[in-house]
Amino acid sequence: MSYLKSRSFLAAVALAFTSPLFAGEGPAHERHELMEGVGDAAKPVGEMLKGEREFDAGVVMNSFETFDEASATLGDLFPPGSEDAEGTEAAPAIWEDRAGFEAALATWADAVDAAIAANPQTLEETKPVAGEVFKACKACHDDYRIEDE
Amino acid sequence: MFGSRTARSLAALLAVAVGFAWWVTSPQPVEGGSLPDHEPDPVAGERIFWAGGCASCHASPRNGKRAKGDDKLLLGGGEELETGYGVFRVPNISTHADDGIGEWTLLEFVNAMHRGVSPDGRHYYPSFPYTSYTRMPVEDVMDLKAFLDTLPPVPGRVAAHSLGFPWSIRRGIGAWKRRYLDTDPVMPSAPSTLVGRGRLLVEGAGHCGECHTPRDRLGGLRRERWLAGAPNPEGKGRVPNITPGGKEISQWSAADIAYYLESGFTPEFDTVGGSMVAVQENMARLSDEDRQAIAAYLKALPALD
Repeated sequence: MSYLKSRSFLAAVALAFTSPLFAGEGPAHERHELMEGVGDAAKPVGEMLKGEREFDAGVVMNSFETFDEASATLGDLFPPGSEDAEGTEAAPAIWEDRAGFEAALATWADAVDAAIAANPQTLEETKPVAGEVFKACKACHDDYRIEDE
Repeated sequence: MFGSRTARSLAALLAVAVGFAWWVTSPQPVEGGSLPDHEPDPVAGERIFWAGGCASCHASPRNGKRAKGDDKLLLGGGEELETGYGVFRVPNISTHADDGIGEWTLLEFVNAMHRGVSPDGRHYYPSFPYTSYTRMPVEDVMDLKAFLDTLPPVPGRVAAHSLGFPWSIRRGIGAWKRRYLDTDPVMPSAPSTLVGRGRLLVEGAGHCGECHTPRDRLGGLRRERWLAGAPNPEGKGRVPNITPGGKEISQWSAADIAYYLESGFTPEFDTVGGSMVAVQENMARLSDEDRQAIAAYLKALPALD
């Protein structure tokens, strides 16, 4: 093992200890990964809305489908006992106000369903339906996510 | 032990010291009759209201949660800010005659905003960010009062702050103000009209520096580290460096900054978090030009790392 490689290896080990969400297992890790995927899918759509990227209906629909899959499982990844996972950004409000959290998730899922049903073929058709999806992302984060500090 | 001459000299010295301390700590209100000839405009004042973030502290929490939507216009106060100095309780600034500020004159309001002095001549603690508001044009302050006057009265007087010694001695703020209450702009000259507009919003009403700039041991802002990031006043973590030299947003374009303030989405399409959520919701109520001006100002700052 070269010096460089062993150093990367040590860095990876260090990361594994300091960032359990990146290297660990369990619901806190799974939901973190799921949300990372949702963020990756949101970015190209957002850039199209901002006018920074050429519109592509296929990319938009792929992203909507990623959201759809995520919205079907996300709610199950916050079981009792996972609120204290180290490094989690999940707010205690998720467990204190489960009904409110489920409602916020449902708002998101409904917005995604509507976006898929609309099957937008132009930027103008995408804006309103994607706008509702993004609004739902933000509303849920505002109430049920804390800063990772 | 002391001769009577020594005692008299000591007494005289003490009197001078007390007199000096009294003078140093005395409130410095704006003189009556010094307001400009300006017809206060409540529509213009609404812009200042959102830029100034009044609702973020003064809107009454509902069921322990931050006010949202139209509840942001119910300014009954009551939020508690827990800090290293003690607990600050945010007062009622609704139009309620007894519990709020409904009976205040325009001059009293300008004195609060620009000088941190209450109608009864006492100092306000700088948890009320008059250190920034002092840089607002007086016409904007007058417009803001006109807008506040259109909002509903909310009953309920808020309890006093609970601060530890020596912070509990309100008079001491007078000396603090002589050092830190500074009407001069932080950016000495604005390179364009747009940056100038952003400077008024960021350094004045927006009071961005109150969280994004670190403080010295006496709680005054360190101007040489203007907007270069600071410990979070509400607990753990850090408030980001928003100069072009920081790690956090230096890669963002001016358009990215303006879009973030409008939508709450970062260039990575993550959403705004923490205390900035309420700030961003206020900024979303401004015009595109105002958000572009804020972005242009931030891009024109010296890069501090």
